[in-house]
Amino acid sequence: MNTKFGQRYCAIALFILLCSIPWLLTDQGYAIRVLTLLLLFAAMAQSWNIVGGLANQISLGHAAFFGIGAYASTILLIRFGLSPWLGILVAMILAGLTGGLLSLPIMKLRGHYFALATLAFGEVMRAIANTWSSVTGGPVGISVPFSPNAGIEMMQFKSTIPYYFIMLGALTISTFIFWKISHSKLGYELRAVKANVDSAEVIGIDTTRTKIIAAVISAALMGACGVLYAQFNFFFDPDSAFSLVGISIRVALICIIGGIGTIFGPLIGACFLLPLEELFNAFLSGKGAGHSQLAYGVILIGIILLEPRGLTTLFKQAVQRIKA
Amino acid sequence: MSFLQAILDGLMLGGVYAVISIGLTLVFGVVSIVNFAQAEFLMVGMYVAYFAWRYLGLDPILGSLISFVVVFALGFFVQQFLIRRVLKAPEVAQIFLTVGLLICLENLALIFFGSEYRSVQTSYQNEALEFFGLIVSMPYLIAFIASGIAGGFIWWVLTKTWWGRAVRATAQNPMAAKLMGINTDQVYRIAFGLGVGLTAFGGAIILPYLTVSPSVGGQFGVLMFTVVVLGGLGNVLGAVVGGIAVGIIQSLSGLFLPIQLQNIALFIIFIATLAFRPEGLLRKSS
Repeated sequence: MNTKFGQRYCAIALFILLCSIPWLLTDQGYAIRVLTLLLLFAAMAQSWNIVGGLANQISLGHAAFFGIGAYASTILLIRFGLSPWLGILVAMILAGLTGGLLSLPIMKLRGHYFALATLAFGEVMRAIANTWSSVTGGPVGISVPFSPNAGIEMMQFKSTIPYYFIMLGALTISTFIFWKISHSKLGYELRAVKANVDSAEVIGIDTTRTKIIAAVISAALMGACGVLYAQFNFFFDPDSAFSLVGISIRVALICIIGGIGTIFGPLIGACFLLPLEELFNAFLSGKGAGHSQLAYGVILIGIILLEPRGLTTLFKQAVQRIKA
Repeated sequence: MSFLQAILDGLMLGGVYAVISIGLTLVFGVVSIVNFAQAEFLMVGMYVAYFAWRYLGLDPILGSLISFVVVFALGFFVQQFLIRRVLKAPEVAQIFLTVGLLICLENLALIFFGSEYRSVQTSYQNEALEFFGLIVSMPYLIAFIASGIAGGFIWWVLTKTWWGRAVRATAQNPMAAKLMGINTDQVYRIAFGLGVGLTAFGGAIILPYLTVSPSVGGQFGVLMFTVVVLGGLGNVLGAVVGGIAVGIIQSLSGLFLPIQLQNIALFIIFIATLAFRPEGLLRKSS
């Protein structure tokens, strides 16, 4: 079967399955909450995948854009009563601009250097959010004001199910954008950059411009996810919104587990990692702080040592072995 | 506080920064891996020195030697069982392996030692020397001298001993070094151990004027990377110059910036260096 065709059928079947889940789990509020977060993290990982997967620019600072989105929409909501639906637009513009401005100086960097620079940038944003208390509320954090009758125009719901569909929408859109990019001229240019930057330059690709466009799109999507998270969780602080381990590393890890640069990688990775984290939290949280995070670190190391190209590769290898 | 005093304080701080960063640059120069968990080895070193003080009554200056030995051994095994397996893997695997190590070390410390801040008391803690109107606090001075000795020791090992030549040969061309009969795997293990051990040593000697907690690595991570990037990754002399530069910049910015903004200024220097001179200020084109 034509792989492109197969991918399309897979995607449609998956979408229908994901749409029907809330009706299969009607009484399971907790499970739907976990699934909602799973979809959101898959959407974030898909945004990361545009830069990290297609161009192999390993960002460790995507929390910066996530946090910018969360803060921008929440501050606009508190101060001016602006609906988060409009807040998303502002967040995307701000996060995209930041992504573009950051890319200007650092997009020429490769490998470790790029990872270091993005990591530092994420930490800068965290430090700024902690310091700039008059706007961000500082280390005590910020709450989205809840009004019980706000409803859809304020993106506030009493049940988790509407959020589930919002996150599903986010994942669908980000996956569609990823798919569009990877099949467009930009996608081929990004893959050329990934294969060999110097050769890509020689054949006439403006590699810096290509990478900046990808970075802007990726950052803008991440900013939108920040808004959704703020609306879903109702509370965040600088250390959680700009968290290195909780956001930046987690989204990259989801891609790595699921298969970096692949279209289904983020969803597969999220389906593996988030339930696993929930299990750890359930079994280990009683033992005190640090246990579930430790388990997280061990998984990370285990996956890297086992198969750095992710579960998708392991799966393909298994299929090949069965066929042979 | 005068300008001269700030320069002097910065110099003292910078000496310590240099020593903790030489370890990072050594690991990169020889093993060709950027160790994102380097600052967590510093944290381990601080804990070792703290417990040596608490239960053995050892001054952190002596405790720093124990820190060095313990963390050297830890690094030796980390290289053998973890890092060695990703030396030929794509960079993303190397990055995330050391990031995983960072998460593990920090949370192991949290599980075993709790989240409280711990500090040591020494006899010289509040003493200071004064000359020409400039004040040098005793813990700073002792840390600065210890850093100088450690830096001198590393310089001697790398330039004057057979083992140092083996390290430099391996760093330049591992294949050729292997053909010359050098056990490069052993060189990698020892270099990694030495690198993290040196950082741990640096962590232990600054214990008298800091507190240790599982998250202390976060304070030093970006700082070390700034130092190393300023001097050029893999360049030992660069780490010394970078360390002193960062120490002085930090101390001078302390004259007119609050502490959080000082950190932000540090980040900006770091990103700017990466952007405009990623090879560092000193590194030659070779």
